[in-house]
Amino acid sequence: MTELACRKCKYINMDATICRVCGSSELTKEWYGYIVIVDPEKSQIAQKLGVKYPGKYALRVG
Amino acid sequence: MSRFFAVKTTANQERVVANLMEMAVKKYQLGVYSILAPKEMKGYIIVEAEGMEDLLRAIKGVPHVKGVVRGEVTFQEIEHFLTPKKAAEQIKEGYTVEIVSGPFRGELAIVKRVDEAKNEITVELMEAVVPIPVTVKADHVRIIDKKEEEV
Repeated sequence: MTELACRKCKYINMDATICRVCGSSELTKEWYGYIVIVDPEKSQIAQKLGVKYPGKYALRVG
Repeated sequence: MSRFFAVKTTANQERVVANLMEMAVKKYQLGVYSILAPKEMKGYIIVEAEGMEDLLRAIKGVPHVKGVVRGEVTFQEIEHFLTPKKAAEQIKEGYTVEIVSGPFRGELAIVKRVDEAKNEITVELMEAVVPIPVTVKADHVRIIDKKEEEV
């Protein structure tokens, strides 16, 4: 199972060819830092990062 | 209003803990909003929660959790994790680095050139008899000595 991060929105996709959040096909194996957003509306971190969908994200890609 | 707490975990199990906590949060509908596992903080995760009670319920029974750090963390303290600098920005020419992955793993080298745009550095291995420049990803090295030597 490969975890691929989207270069555009940093969402971590499992074995996918396109990103589930933004639809981009620019996915990479090279990502660092990990964040799980459970409630993007209430989370201060999600607001800072501009994340609108819950899920797993990388902090830095590439 | 969110509050931030640091949780101590077994080293290299930060993501496992974050995933298990997420499951518990969803199952019991707890007031935990996000779980952060920065690369720089080995053995710790930062949990954004409504309060201590929600956090304690979320970590209850989760393996690899070693405890909760006393006190709270402020948002300002974790803000820099959210916009991490590129690894190459922190490395300068002349630094001594240890290569931590790839065929040269464990080798010490001196930085000869830094390419911030590509996040790559060119190094010369210290052990090599003939100096051969090797280009590696800046994330694949660890800084050993920050003394900037004459290049």
